[in-house]
Parts: sequence; C-alpha cells; structure tokens
Amino acid sequence: MTVEQNFEALDQFPIGMRVLAVDDDQTCLRILESLLRHCQYNVTTTNQAQKALELLRENKNKFDLVISDVDMPDMDGFKLLELVGLEMDLPVIMLSAHSDPKYVMKGVTHGACDYLLKPVRIEELKNIWQHVVRKNRGSNNGEKRDGSGNEGVGNSDQNSGRANRKRKDQYNEDEDEERDDNDDSSAAKKQRVVWTVELHKKFVAAVNQLGYEKAMPKKILDLMNVEKLTRENVASHLQKFRLYLKRISGVTNQQAIMANSDLHFLQMSSSLNGLDSFHHRPIPVGPGQFHGGAPPMRPFPSNGILGRLNTPSGIGVRNLSSPPAGMFLQNQTDLGKFHHVSSSLPLNHSDGGNILQGLPMPLEFDQLQANNNNNNNNNNNIRNMNNNKSIAGSSMAFPSFSTHQNSLIRAPNNNLVVLDGHPQASPPGFPGHQNNKRLEHWSNAVSSSTLPPPQTSNSIHHQFDVSPLPHSRPDPLEWNNVSSSYSIPFCDSASTMSPQALDTPNPGAFSRNTDFNSNANANAQPGGFYDSLQMRQSGNYGPTTDAMLSTNPKEGFVVGQQKLQSGGFMSADAGSLDDIVNSTMKQEQSQGELSGGDLGYGGFSSLRTCI
Amino acid sequence: MQRQVALIKQSLFDQGYLDEQFMELEELQDDANPNFVEEVSTLYFKDSARLINNIDQALERGSFDFNRLDSYMHQFKGSSTSIGANKVKAECTKFREYCRAGNAEGCLRTFQQLKKEHSTLRKKLEHYFQLARQAGPKETARRPK
Repeated sequence: MTVEQNFEALDQFPIGMRVLAVDDDQTCLRILESLLRHCQYNVTTTNQAQKALELLRENKNKFDLVISDVDMPDMDGFKLLELVGLEMDLPVIMLSAHSDPKYVMKGVTHGACDYLLKPVRIEELKNIWQHVVRKNRGSNNGEKRDGSGNEGVGNSDQNSGRANRKRKDQYNEDEDEERDDNDDSSAAKKQRVVWTVELHKKFVAAVNQLGYEKAMPKKILDLMNVEKLTRENVASHLQKFRLYLKRISGVTNQQAIMANSDLHFLQMSSSLNGLDSFHHRPIPVGPGQFHGGAPPMRPFPSNGILGRLNTPSGIGVRNLSSPPAGMFLQNQTDLGKFHHVSSSLPLNHSDGGNILQGLPMPLEFDQLQANNNNNNNNNNNIRNMNNNKSIAGSSMAFPSFSTHQNSLIRAPNNNLVVLDGHPQASPPGFPGHQNNKRLEHWSNAVSSSTLPPPQTSNSIHHQFDVSPLPHSRPDPLEWNNVSSSYSIPFCDSASTMSPQALDTPNPGAFSRNTDFNSNANANAQPGGFYDSLQMRQSGNYGPTTDAMLSTNPKEGFVVGQQKLQSGGFMSADAGSLDDIVNSTMKQEQSQGELSGGDLGYGGFSSLRTCI
Repeated sequence: MQRQVALIKQSLFDQGYLDEQFMELEELQDDANPNFVEEVSTLYFKDSARLINNIDQALERGSFDFNRLDSYMHQFKGSSTSIGANKVKAECTKFREYCRAGNAEGCLRTFQQLKKEHSTLRKKLEHYFQLARQAGPKETARRPK
C-alpha cells in the first residue's frame, strides 16, 4: 500500500476494520457479530476454526483482527491463536466464558492480544482496534521496507510509519507488540525473503536469546535487526523452525538443540571457513563422507538441510562413520547452510548408498562443465570438472541420482572420485550427528548466507522437474510436495547456472525457502522446510559429495561451489549444496583422513546426490 | 398494548429471568436489525434445546462423565449469559459445581431445575415477543428506561 493509501485507511480507521469472528456457539456468534457491526467494523463470521483458517490463508490481507472463542469442538482456540499468529501474524483476541486466570495466562502465552470474557460488552469491543494499531506500529517501525528496517518506535522515515505514527501517537505510543498489522505490512510489497545462512544465524541467535519458548516473531525481528525483514517472514520462519526442531528432537529439549545447533552451526561455519582457504569456496566435500552414512542418514529425511547432505550419502558414504557433524563443524564454509545439511543429513538416502553411485555423472559433468565455465570462481572447477569428467566416465552408477542429474553434474566429478577413491570419504559419524547436524545445518544453512548467490538459481529451480528427490524420504515435510521444484533445482542450477563462486550465498536458495514457506505453511509441517529443501538437494548431492570428497578436494570444492552457487540454498543450487555438502563432508573427512581437507566445505558436501 | 409489553418485560427483569445483558441486546436492535433480539432468542433456544438433549442423554446413560457434562454445561452457560438468561445461568453454575464435586445426585436435581427454568423463560419470552410484535416493532424495540 502506498503511503497515501495507508493514510486513507488510517483516516477511516477504526471504522471498517475487518474482523473475523470465530465461535462455535451460534447464539454467541450472532451476538458478537451484531456487536461488532455496531462498532462499525467489517465483520465476517464462522463457527468453525478450520474454516476460519482457510479464510485467513486464502488471503492474508483480508483481515485486520481475529476474535476467537476458546472452547471450540473442531480446534482448540489457543491452537488457532497460535497458528494465526505464526502464519498470518494478525492480532488475535480470545473470548471465553472462562474467567479462570489460567486460561487468560494461556491466552497470553500463546500470543493473544487480549482476552475478553463473555458476555462481551460493546464497550470492550469498541476498543479492540487498538491492537491492530499497536501491531501496525510495531511492524512499521520494525519492518518498514523503506529501508530503515530498524525497529524502534521513533522510526519515522517511513511514510507509512509516519502515517501510522500520526494515529498511533494519539492513542498509544506503545512499542512493538508481537503482532504485525497485516493491513500495513501486507500492503507493502513483500519481497521474498531469502533465509541465508547468516540471516538464519541471526534468527537462531535471537530465538536463543529470547528463549525458545518465548520467542515471538516481533521480538525476534527486533533482535535480528534486519532491514526489509518483516514479522511475517520471521513468523513463518519461526514456525518452520519450530516444526523442524520438533521433528528432529521429538519436541524435547528444543532449547538444547537450538543451542547446540547454533553452536554447531557456528562451529561448522568456522570449520568450513578454515577449509575454505583451500579453495575459495568451501565445498562440502562430503560426497565421500556420505557414502557410508547414507543409510544412517535416512532417519533425518525431514531435515531438509541435512537431508541434502545425506543424500550425498548415497554417494556411497558408507563410511559415514565419522560424524559428518565433525565435518560441518570444521567447515565453516560460507556455504554454511549447506554445512549442516550435508553432514547431518543422511537423509534422503532412502536411495541409500546408491545415491552416489547413481550419479549420472557424465551428464552432470557436462553441465558442470558448463557451469564451471561460467563460474568465475571456479577456475579450479573447470579443471576439476575436467577431471571429474573423466571420473564421471567411470562407472558412476548413481541410479538414484538420475533425476538429479543436473545437480549432480557438479558432484559427479567429485563424487565419482570420492566414491571410488575414498570410501572413507563417507562422512563417518554422519548418522550420529544427524540430529544435531540437521539443526545446525538447518540453522547454518539458513543463516549462512554464504551460499553462492543463486545466479541462475531462480531459473534453475524451475528447470528441474519437480520430481522430488529420488529418495523420497519419509520426510513428511511438505517440502517434498511443495518443493518438488526444489529438489531438483540444484541440479538444474548447476547446469544452468554457471557455477559461480560458491562463496556467495545463494539468496536464491533461501528464496526458495521462502517460497516454500508459503507452501509449507499451507502444508502440514512447514517446519522442515529447510530439511525438505535440503533433502532434496542432498539427494542431488549425494554422489557428488563423495566425489568431491575423495578425489579432489579441489574438485569437490569446485563442484560444491558451483553447486552452491546455483542452488543457493536449496533448490537453485543443487550444485552449491553439493558443494557445500561436499565441502563439509570433506572437512569432516579431512579431519579424519582426507588429506585434501581443503575442501573446506566439508559440511556442505551435502552430498548432492544429484551427482 | 405497549405499556403491557413494557410491563411484562419489566417483570421479567424484576423476577430475575433476564438481566442486563438482555438490555444490551436490545441496544443492538435497530432499523437494520429490527428483530435482533427475537432472532437471537430463537437461536438461543434452538441451540440450548439441543444441548439439553445431549445432557439428558448423558445423564440417562448413568455413566456420569463429569468432564463431558461440565463441558456441555460450560457451553450452555456461555450462551445463556450472552442473552441474559439469568436464572438459567444460575442453574448452570450450580450444575457445574456439582459436577466438579462429582455429585451425581446434585447434578440430576439441578438439571431438572435448569430445564424448568429454561422452559419457563422460553414461554415468557415467546409471549413477550408476541406481544411486542403486536404492539409494533419500533416501540417494543426500545428499551424501557
């Protein structure tokens, strides 16, 4: 919405404020509706929570405020509250006949803006618009896209902020609330947010700081202090993250995990960085590593990030004895993201060890070549590619990766090499670390925006047919469904994208995520989005990583780079993931035995099984 | 006629059948919703009849699932409160207390009472609305101050 529009809306406000009322009791609903109409709000009612969610999801900008009863047969009011807060970031007011403070507390902790007791009086409803305003202010201050992006009540550079402030000044100078005013923020053009590794890192740090239980989008946003990031972005990301954590940790010790993952992530990033020195791009030399680990990695299919790495396990990471995590730790590659992915996720190796084997290297190799050429960073790559090619020629039987051919392309070289050469390459402890890795990876992956910018990642994403990773992991993540497009992206990206220096994180990758977000949200478990993304990719990487790992750290590196670049985070840079995985794997490996530890990306060797 | 209507309404309040909430509802009635109160009342009685049925069945089963009963009653209380059905609401509260105490006997007794109150109220309101309609919608809509 333009400033003018905002202003206009504000002028009218609170008249015409769009409220969604939810209550299973028809009598109460009718009365509520009438009360709200008398306040001159625009009222929509439904007596089913599910229907309410549908309405909200259908168009996030359709409503300003939600009022919901607590006891509803089809869904707990608090649950609805949570979902709305996370997905749409709208202010929600709870209604109940229960005056028990416990309920009120529950409402507050679940993020309700207010808690009203039945019977509701019109006087109370006359004031509920304040919550919208409050949220709006917070969001304006915190998320204005005009570039100031800094939260802070005094943020007046934004037009809307100014307009809002004008109104808000009159009423409530309060600082940020948890909720965002959809009306305002949604009106503004929403950029796809790419959850780069760095960004994710910040996110995780913020969540940790707030305490996992207490982390709310607005606060996280404030802590992150990132321009152009909206609360909605954070909210959806948070939701995914939570789901992700739940998934991998079984909803226990999430905080611990978060802490660990964070740490791990950091470690990984650092390690990768170290390795990076070797190659300008820390390519996760994972392929080899994943070899052995493939099977064990399976368990984490859902961890998108890790998943990817895991898939490389297909690369024949049989020996994933050494915890890939180690690799990641060391691999601080910028791929960051991929780090985790690769190491921890043996995921998708539903294909199992075949992933790597199945790498259609030759094909990919060509593509890789192409990519390599484009890749400025990758002089080595080219060289490597050549090498890889030869390797590729060799019987890389990666059946599983056929789909990922593209992505694998990068990997093939590496993978091949790795596979053959280094059984040990497989990330040893992969399985073990999976959990952690995943978290880390995930966080790493997310945060480390080191992923090479998806140069063509975006385009690449789509190139791949959506066929999800061959190793259809049990990953429930909707990602598989949604991300089908992603799974391949890496591969594609590899092909289409000139393998650019993996150094740069792929925003594309992240962007993918965001795309997913929307999808994911719709899906059951968006949480694993990273996982899913990764998973896919890892599949792609599978073989690659190995290859990367074993033969040439360089190659692996290169490949990884390329991959990373293309894939950006998930989809686009299948290659990058591989690289990352490879590098990460490599790192781990190197720790173990790879001499070429320079792969740096150990973590990312995310075995793009696509190899 | 109107006075009669007003008197009836007043007596309902006086006798405690209705409380302020009912007045609030009347406030909501306007030209756009001329029969708002009546509509809501009808809705209420329909809903509550269903609830009463459920509770009846639950009680008849003799299993006395207090949690379930309590939750039914909570719902009942919610809507009764919303339209200002005072006496009914009071019975609901009593019933819930018995539920919480696990007093089946008390529950049964209270429930009978509740049903009585409920049907009394219904009759009275029906009568009231009927008269009100006869007296002329506009007039009756206004709350006697």
